[in-house]
Amino acid sequence: MINMAEEDAISYIGFVQNPIEGISNNNNNNNPPLKKKRNLPGTPDPEAEVIALSPKTLMATNRFLCEVCGKGFQRDQNLQLHRRGHNLPWKLKQRSSKEPKKRVYVCPEKTCVHHHPSRALGDLTGIKKHFCRKHGEKKWKCDKCSKRYAVQSDWKAHSKTCGTREYKCDCGTLFSRRDSFITHRAFCDALAEETARVKAASDHMSYPMAAGNFSYHFTGASVGANMTQHFPSVFKPISSPNDVDATIGGGATTRGLSLWMGQGVSQLGQEAAMANNNVTSLQEIHQLGTVSSSGPTIFRTTTDHHHPLSVSCSNPPPPSDYHHHLNWVLGSSTNKLSSNSSTISTTSTTHDQELTTTSLPLRNNNNVKEAASSNNQLVSVPSLYSTQHTSHHQTPPSSANMSATALLQKAAQIGATSTDSSFLGSFGLKCNNNNSTQVQEGSNKSCGLYGSNIISTTVESQEGDHLLQIYRPAKRRHVQGSEEGTTGGGAGQTRDFLGVGVQAICHPSSINGWI
Amino acid sequence: MDITLFGTTPKEAQFLINSNSNNDYATTTTIGNMQTTTTINNHLNSHTSTSGISSDSVAAAAATEPWGGQWASRLLKECARAISEKDSTKIHHLLWMLNELSSPYGDCDQKLASYFLQALFCKATGSGLRCYRTLSSVAEKSRSFDSARKLILKFQEVTPWTTFGHVASNGAILEALEGEPKLHIIDISNTLCTQWPTLLEALATRNDETPRLRLTVVDVISSAVAGGGAVMKEIGQRMEKFARLMGVPFELNMISGPNRPNSTRLTREALRVRDDEAVAVNCVGALRRAGLEEREAAVRVFRSLDPKVVTIVEEEANMVAAAVASGNNDDENDFVERFEECLRFYTLYFEMLEESFSPTSNEKLMLERECSRGIVRALACGGGGGDYDDENKEQGEGEETNYAVKSGDGWDFERREKGTQWSERMKKAFSPVLYSDDVVDDVKALLKRYPSGWGLVLPQAKQQQQEQQQNDHGIYLTWKEEPVVWASAWKP
Repeated sequence: MINMAEEDAISYIGFVQNPIEGISNNNNNNNPPLKKKRNLPGTPDPEAEVIALSPKTLMATNRFLCEVCGKGFQRDQNLQLHRRGHNLPWKLKQRSSKEPKKRVYVCPEKTCVHHHPSRALGDLTGIKKHFCRKHGEKKWKCDKCSKRYAVQSDWKAHSKTCGTREYKCDCGTLFSRRDSFITHRAFCDALAEETARVKAASDHMSYPMAAGNFSYHFTGASVGANMTQHFPSVFKPISSPNDVDATIGGGATTRGLSLWMGQGVSQLGQEAAMANNNVTSLQEIHQLGTVSSSGPTIFRTTTDHHHPLSVSCSNPPPPSDYHHHLNWVLGSSTNKLSSNSSTISTTSTTHDQELTTTSLPLRNNNNVKEAASSNNQLVSVPSLYSTQHTSHHQTPPSSANMSATALLQKAAQIGATSTDSSFLGSFGLKCNNNNSTQVQEGSNKSCGLYGSNIISTTVESQEGDHLLQIYRPAKRRHVQGSEEGTTGGGAGQTRDFLGVGVQAICHPSSINGWI
Repeated sequence: MDITLFGTTPKEAQFLINSNSNNDYATTTTIGNMQTTTTINNHLNSHTSTSGISSDSVAAAAATEPWGGQWASRLLKECARAISEKDSTKIHHLLWMLNELSSPYGDCDQKLASYFLQALFCKATGSGLRCYRTLSSVAEKSRSFDSARKLILKFQEVTPWTTFGHVASNGAILEALEGEPKLHIIDISNTLCTQWPTLLEALATRNDETPRLRLTVVDVISSAVAGGGAVMKEIGQRMEKFARLMGVPFELNMISGPNRPNSTRLTREALRVRDDEAVAVNCVGALRRAGLEEREAAVRVFRSLDPKVVTIVEEEANMVAAAVASGNNDDENDFVERFEECLRFYTLYFEMLEESFSPTSNEKLMLERECSRGIVRALACGGGGGDYDDENKEQGEGEETNYAVKSGDGWDFERREKGTQWSERMKKAFSPVLYSDDVVDDVKALLKRYPSGWGLVLPQAKQQQQEQQQNDHGIYLTWKEEPVVWASAWKP
């Protein structure tokens, strides 16, 4: 039991809880004291003596006073040396022969984390400074920027660097003044892109952009009329007021997403709200700086011809699959149908050069694994890619009006017959599981985007060969760009914040474990 | 006033200048009569392009004169006096001379001569309002987000003229609203929201709990003319983005379209102020744009918003002649006084610009041009409400107005008052708040970041607080020891 005293230094033997194992033994007397080993701050030696000093003591400086001139010193040794100058008898204390007992100090402030002995600080100077900094009055003020400090040494250190620091805006301009930097930043054109990038990056979690090439090749014409019916109305571009955040790909993005959204909705007869939700979430996705252009664009090209999902592969994917994909992308119940996506053969030789970005090389099955591995994130959305990627089977173009159930069955079929699909399927499964977990936990923001309910239901109902492909919006974008030749925004960008939101849906670790 | 109109040559001009120094106007008989036709008006408006060349030689000649150093000031004042006395010969002569010597691309004297000449001419010919509207329309047409942003940011980078007010006001606002979870700032200013990024940053970093901020913006520049909304819209978007970046819950509301200082749109209900919000009113460079009678109403409007703090920042000059301010609408007697004050202020301003910017700076030129409107407005556009309407009738009727706003419909009055004068008005509904030491330190630190020449003057004395009739409240920014900007804080 440890008693803390508020009075002047009272030392007592106490045992400090050792929060971190393995550290406490460092300072055993067994070790030759060649060099004092430091514990991590706030993790003191459990056998050390705990000392509680009073605030007065801690804040006091110069407690040792010379009787002749009144000069104050922090240490007795210093005072003794000074007394020599006055020709006064002085005596320097020798370092005590016995091994000094280790001492740790606690902060007298009750609300402080260092108040508890288990978080005591090992240094007297340290505890003094801590107390001053946290609980003391800030008497020292910087001249240039009026920042305040309680400890003089802090203030001195700051003064040395204050004003010398340079701030650099994303647009490349350098500032020596913080306030003009801030004001500039707020109005800088670079801000728009920055916001998107930052968000994407943070969600992205170092999403490795796989080296695969997107072998998607959507050609408007190839898909054929079948596809048409599904998309027409759905593919109305989202006139997103959100021109801001995801500037990448700009308009293309919105439209693309809308495509998906639309798809999912119409195809599976998703809850009517889907459309609206989708739009919103799309916008949100935009905000994540992800999806944006990539995915949608793919569809976009076809929109004009009502062939949004035209994937030019040797085996043009049946519209229904596409739908599945789309739905999947939407994070809707498409998941069920994800397996169908495999029918969309992207494995066709047509590669879009521009789709060289990362993520899933939808192109070859071989790449699937790569892609999968590189994609830590399961995205409910990217079904399109994944399925294509895994295209083992080319299902004959089916009626676009396939029912949801039928699609599911199809997916099951396909999934069962292809190794890749199973690979992915399991992968997807895992993801799904994670997904659902995620969703249920509500921890994942992106999940929320798609509507957790949607995702979870989708996941649950999975047949098992659900292929939660790693979704790479960026890829879409590139595809789109390449396809159209000039889709602009997305085309040149290899970056793919794609599915930032989406990726988040599936817990990365699960995928990692996978790969 | 074209040189050919008067049939003189540069040599003769020089002769005239020389003779002018003797106050001998007899030799000016060669000057023809000045005609107040639109051609002259146009010429005046475009004289900037033509007089450059011809005036150079003359100016060079003038500069060598013994009194050449401050010739602009002298000539201008002489002219103002002549106008006030309605001495038309003299008026003509001086206007002509000024036209010869002035140039908006020359040195300070030439520039001042140029812009003030325009105002004097308008005053003499009674075309002030028309001229003002023309200038406003032209300016608005060429205004864009990019140009406005570049201009204002550059200005803030090289001088603390505006940032002084920002720092003081933000400091006062932050302190007054300390601890409040929901803030609502009503911003009536000409700052184009450049004050708010630093405030947002402070909110995000200073407090443990970042409060929610609602910002209602009335941009007095845009409100005065049609089509001013586009720039503000863009600015609004940037603000929202930035607030998101900073992580401050933010809501922005732009009051667009023409509105008057005492508009009914500026009430708690109209602005949808919520009861749990702490309100602050920030009025920078806007009160001077209210018509004289409207100023009191504006103060009442502020009071009705029930704010925790009101921050006022204004430029320090007294362009409201005493007679007019006291209700006597006789504008003429005080014209000279007003003119001289106006000249003093703008001389300071132009000199400040000259020293702060590089000689060939485009931004400096733009800023100077923006002054031309203010100068014309303050000197040639009539005084109180009476004049307002009269001028309106004279020139407004039957005249095609391409501007959404006729005179007096918006924030465009431009008669500055001094801090003491504003204090007097504010005291009717508010009591002054002293800036805390921290804020003062911040301002001092700010001034240190700029080149030398700038100073800070604090209110006279804390010991004189008991003398409430003293209207010395707020702090002043000084340029070469002259107070130029006044900042103050008030609470109900």
